[in-house]
Amino acid sequence: MAIEDYRGDVEMCCRCSACKHIPLQMVKGVEHSYACPSIARYNFHAYSGGGRLLIAKEMLNSGFKYTDKLLDIVYNCQMCGGCDTSCKYAMDMEVLEPIYEFRIRCVETGHTNPALDKVINSLRKQGTMVPGAKGKRAAWAQGMGIKDATKEKVDVYYHVGCLTSYDKDYQKLARATAKILKKAGVDFGIGYENESCCGGRAFQMGYKDDFLKQAKKNMDMLKKAGVKTLVTGCADGYQAFKVLYDKYNLKGDLEVLHITEYLARLIKEGKLKLNKKVNLTVTYHDPCYLGRLGEPWIHWQGKKIPGYKFVFDPPKVYRRGTYGVYEPPREVLKSVPGVKLFEMDRIKEYAWCCGAGGGVNESNPEFAKWTATERIEEAESTGAEAIVTACPWCEKNFNQAIKESGSDLKVYDIVEIVEKAI
Amino acid sequence: MALSKDVYKEFEDVVGAENISDDPAIKDAYRSPDLTVILPGSTEEVAAVIKLCNKHKIPYKAQSTGWMLFAPTYDFIFMDLRRMNRIIEINEKNMYAVVEPYVISAELMAELFKRGMICNVKGSGSTCTALAMSGHGHMGMTTSTGDRNDLATEWVTDEGEIVRLGTLGASDEWFCGDGPGPSLRGVYRGGGVITRQATKVYHWPGPSEYPLEGLSPRYTLSKKPSEMNMMVRYFSFPSIGKLIEAELKIGESEIAFELMGFCPSMVSSNITTSNEEDFETLEQFTREVQGPGFMVIIVGNFDEDFAYKKKVLAQIIKETDGESLKAVEDPDAEATLLFQCTRVCASIRETFRAGGMFSSMMVQGQRYDNHVRWLEEAAVLKRELIEKGLVIADDGQQFGWGEEGGHLGHTEIFCRYNPYDEKSSKAVQEWLAKVGKRALDGCFAVPSMGILPVDVIGKRASNYHIWFGKLKEAFDPNGVGENTGFSYVGADTSGVHTSIYQKPEKASPKK
Amino acid sequence: MAGNESLVKIFGAKNVLDDAETLEEYSGDFSFVSPVRPRCVVKPKNADEVQKLVKWANDKRTPLVPVSSGSPHFRGDTVPGIGGAVVVDLSGMKKIIRVDRAHRVAMVEPGVTFAELIPAVEKEGLRLNMPLLPRKSKTVIGSMLEREPVVMPKYHWDISDPLACVEVVFGTGDMFRTGQAAGPGTIEEQWAAGGAQKTPYGPGPAAWYRLIQGAQGTMGIVTWASLRCEILPKLEEPFLVGSAELDRLLELVHWLVRMRLVNECFVLNDSNLAAIMARKFPGEYQDIKDTLPPWVLFFNLAGYDYFPEDRVSSQIKGVSDITKRIGLEADKAVGGVSAVEMLKMVKRPSPEPYWKLGGKGACHDIFFITTYDKLEGQIGVMNDVANKSGYPALDMGVYLQPIVQGSNCHCEFNLFYDPQDPVELERVKELSAEAVNCLMATGAFFSRPYDRSARMIINRDAAYVDALNRVKTILDPNHVMNPGKLCF
Repeated sequence: MAIEDYRGDVEMCCRCSACKHIPLQMVKGVEHSYACPSIARYNFHAYSGGGRLLIAKEMLNSGFKYTDKLLDIVYNCQMCGGCDTSCKYAMDMEVLEPIYEFRIRCVETGHTNPALDKVINSLRKQGTMVPGAKGKRAAWAQGMGIKDATKEKVDVYYHVGCLTSYDKDYQKLARATAKILKKAGVDFGIGYENESCCGGRAFQMGYKDDFLKQAKKNMDMLKKAGVKTLVTGCADGYQAFKVLYDKYNLKGDLEVLHITEYLARLIKEGKLKLNKKVNLTVTYHDPCYLGRLGEPWIHWQGKKIPGYKFVFDPPKVYRRGTYGVYEPPREVLKSVPGVKLFEMDRIKEYAWCCGAGGGVNESNPEFAKWTATERIEEAESTGAEAIVTACPWCEKNFNQAIKESGSDLKVYDIVEIVEKAI
Repeated sequence: MALSKDVYKEFEDVVGAENISDDPAIKDAYRSPDLTVILPGSTEEVAAVIKLCNKHKIPYKAQSTGWMLFAPTYDFIFMDLRRMNRIIEINEKNMYAVVEPYVISAELMAELFKRGMICNVKGSGSTCTALAMSGHGHMGMTTSTGDRNDLATEWVTDEGEIVRLGTLGASDEWFCGDGPGPSLRGVYRGGGVITRQATKVYHWPGPSEYPLEGLSPRYTLSKKPSEMNMMVRYFSFPSIGKLIEAELKIGESEIAFELMGFCPSMVSSNITTSNEEDFETLEQFTREVQGPGFMVIIVGNFDEDFAYKKKVLAQIIKETDGESLKAVEDPDAEATLLFQCTRVCASIRETFRAGGMFSSMMVQGQRYDNHVRWLEEAAVLKRELIEKGLVIADDGQQFGWGEEGGHLGHTEIFCRYNPYDEKSSKAVQEWLAKVGKRALDGCFAVPSMGILPVDVIGKRASNYHIWFGKLKEAFDPNGVGENTGFSYVGADTSGVHTSIYQKPEKASPKK
Repeated sequence: MAGNESLVKIFGAKNVLDDAETLEEYSGDFSFVSPVRPRCVVKPKNADEVQKLVKWANDKRTPLVPVSSGSPHFRGDTVPGIGGAVVVDLSGMKKIIRVDRAHRVAMVEPGVTFAELIPAVEKEGLRLNMPLLPRKSKTVIGSMLEREPVVMPKYHWDISDPLACVEVVFGTGDMFRTGQAAGPGTIEEQWAAGGAQKTPYGPGPAAWYRLIQGAQGTMGIVTWASLRCEILPKLEEPFLVGSAELDRLLELVHWLVRMRLVNECFVLNDSNLAAIMARKFPGEYQDIKDTLPPWVLFFNLAGYDYFPEDRVSSQIKGVSDITKRIGLEADKAVGGVSAVEMLKMVKRPSPEPYWKLGGKGACHDIFFITTYDKLEGQIGVMNDVANKSGYPALDMGVYLQPIVQGSNCHCEFNLFYDPQDPVELERVKELSAEAVNCLMATGAFFSRPYDRSARMIINRDAAYVDALNRVKTILDPNHVMNPGKLCF
């Protein structure tokens, strides 16, 4: 698919501005009613989902004019899909897909963002999205006796992810995950130096070819290792393996689970017992790529039925954010003795983004921080002591925002809470 | 229009570099190749921008939330007011709320619900501005309509003068917008920018927050409407005559929270989550209804009140041979209609989803029974378009709703179509013109926005266009403001209806 | 008749009056504005004559002072502001043009009084939302154009209600129809098409009627107006609630109005309620007053065509839930006043003599719009000003009328006095000027400024005055319409 394939969708935009807000029924007041960080921060209509479609429509008609402002608009978006879900509450049309394709077109034509180029260069050189990553990918696992899934058969392959592998501050998540899986008696392994970036973040940044390269590389390795079930603690990784790989027919029959789904399953089956009390009031942040964008890909091919209605043969089934991963992380949190869960105003399919997605944390750290700060404030308004997420990118971005704002809010990944309880 | 560097700088000095742009990408999103977009953040900035427009004779247009896709047709300064998004005050005791232009109705309604109150929500839906403006809404039976909800108002004229109406000017308070002496509420829709306004709010006996469950796009309520003393029903009637009889009786007996003259297609759009499901449901409804119909929402203040209202409704329906549409009696469908119509005021699903666009002929503020003969003719003409495959094949009906207990009302008929299909667009425009002309020739009403030239209509309506022109001249001597002298009763300057772009005649911008 | 020949040509000799007695009568009223003798008084019979007159006035640059109600007048707005004016007495235009039950609307000429219109609409099953006991000579149009408060806040959606559409001869001499009446078609053609003259705003973006209301005749002369009417109830159940605690009573008012449980609803102090109910002064007045608590709320429940008993009983339940919560009790009588009697009174104009004049022969009203929370303080300020001036605050009437469905409250102080007593007259004159100043400082909003303080009130906001003058320049460029009033 290319941006041209979405002409019908971009023409469907009626400029109702639903994309700027969370689904209207869920608006709980004048606070926390916005869905899209980009329009909320930059205010010109061009930065909204609908504005992006209008730009696409105009450029499809009269050619692409790559001004600095256009690229500013294009890259100041976390690709969080908030606009897509809000629009599709009422409409039958794609919003995020054409936005992806527009960004891909920018990259393909050489209109890239230098900060993102740097990240992609690192990916190309080192197979990781953490520029300047030093040392071995699995250094964190030293001495833990974790199986190498490329060398011996395991029930579960744990894909650790770039940030968790390389960022010293977040390697704790990998160690916590391994500790929990061991405790539950799971036969699991990791890829050690054969693990490579999932490519999901590269796709979000518009570098589709790099994404495909990574996807193929990963799937070759997994196939060779005979992996049937993949578990990851990274929301980007989850969405890449589960949704994007499927979109490009690369996933095969690999079962992809986010760690929260897997933990919920282990808890339900009685294999993981959470006995220790963790006295903490928390609120849960739904990562975009685990929540609304974690919804399975729907393979559909069809043609618009000629005429005045925007309908297709066969009928198109839209991904509307309904089937993302929302309950498993909540079930896990509720299983931890002592943990009290307070919900924020924007949750599940209409959760506010942490700010890190789409390469924004590299291309515009100030905007990433602004977006995170909005979320921190929302979390604080629930009265919770901690915000819990299920993605290292969210955790890192929240921590950076908190560091500068001086908030007392604690930030955890869900595996850290579970680790405390075992 | 490319402003000269110096002039651009003057505007930039008012709002800051971050809040002004004439980049092609920005302009594309505002649907015009020839404008400079400015994001003022306060009344003072709005006034300063307008003063600069006057100084340089540059036309401007301001927009609160905007709605629909109408391309501006001339060069100008475009003020997007979205940075002005604060609720200034909600006064429960005196039943008003004060908002800036980019507070949307969904936000204000959510805040009001918590306080046992509601406001009028425009038919365009709750993504639109909560300023009272002229929008007519589905809950008009209870929440009045259009400009009748305005109280004190802060108005920046087309010359950039800040005028504070009513109590705002007298004592910096918001409870009254009229006087001293004649009320300037009579003129501010003619131009300028409303920067803050108090709007009347109303009692809401329902929950402080709907007990919503599920995930988008299918939310439901965890409680049945009846458990909250609420009921939604759709009734069809053997004839328009019977429908009108029922509508008037319901209005006079003061039992309806909302009386919305949905066609079956509007009901099916609202309770379904895709086009395919919508058209299947519509087929089913079309088989089940006996004729034209409307939806009624009953809300009880307390048990006895709820029981009384239901009893009267049953009696009126019996007397008028109405039949309830069974599908709506299902508590899930009932619940969906309830929160769609009281919180969101529906709209997007029923207007845009099928074809991307709709065009309407409407008369705001006048009761359905006044215009039904005319719009029945319009419906016949619309069905011809349906048969030719030019517009969406819905039930083709006109619809209306009651306002202020049936004192006033709203009448409308629209075609849904694909705006990029030239044949469809042309056919719809011709249909509108035909229906509009018939409105004048039949002495029914002033037809809605932009259908016929203003002077054609004005000559048939007390030459109002001439008088309006004089008002415009008096408040906008440099002709920089939007020419809002269009035709429908109770227009607005909010940009909710942006079809009103008309190039001001006087201002000749410096190139 | 010298100099008025052209007027005689328009109106006929008997409708142009310039005898000394008539000119004296129209030269002043109960207000404190200085009397000015008009040049003559004309009595138009139809809109055509009005239009000719306005054109004549523009030619001759002669001021016109429109008046529709009969005497006595109270507010100074019909007293010529400058010499040489022609008073346009519209009281003879008495046609009730239409009463339309289905649309709940009536259309009347300017001379039609409440006393005349009430039975006409009742015949059709309708009623008026009217001011509190207007004097017998008060016209419906006069009241509406002055935005007088009405007694049923539930049906007072907008401050302009119950006015619907008007036909007006602007100060330019041009004829204009507002709202739904504007067109297309003649009024008769609109009726034939199934329409009514009901929707007030428009045509176009402006709401022309709002510029004519509150203008005290400075924009043009209305030759007919339509007004919304309400359904005549089948069953009514009035109540009174007495209390010494005004804030508690106002809390009750807020909820009754907010929940739309009641039709008529207002608060009077003991002096005003006694003045309304007494037929003999001072004996009966004082007797009634002595039985009353300081404040009395009157409200009325109504049932219409469908199961009226059920409706009223459900509303009684609703009301009693509120009164219990607030700690008040609604009764059928308070002191010597019965709720049923009160209801009978408020459905009609005041009996003769006018209730404001019965006690002492004259009355000066100070009224403004305010909010519930400020009322107690404002009443305190007024009491202080009155007492300080030597006018016993306890003798003063107070009328509190929730308006615009509870968004505001009309507050009115009635200063009864003996016009023959120069000391008393001077005292009321001085204290009223002082009171307006003091009350404005408390946020009292004088939306309808009359009398000597009008100019001071309106001129406080220069931007507003400038905007009003731009409108005035369009509708009355030669300033022939009631010059000297408001800021014109």
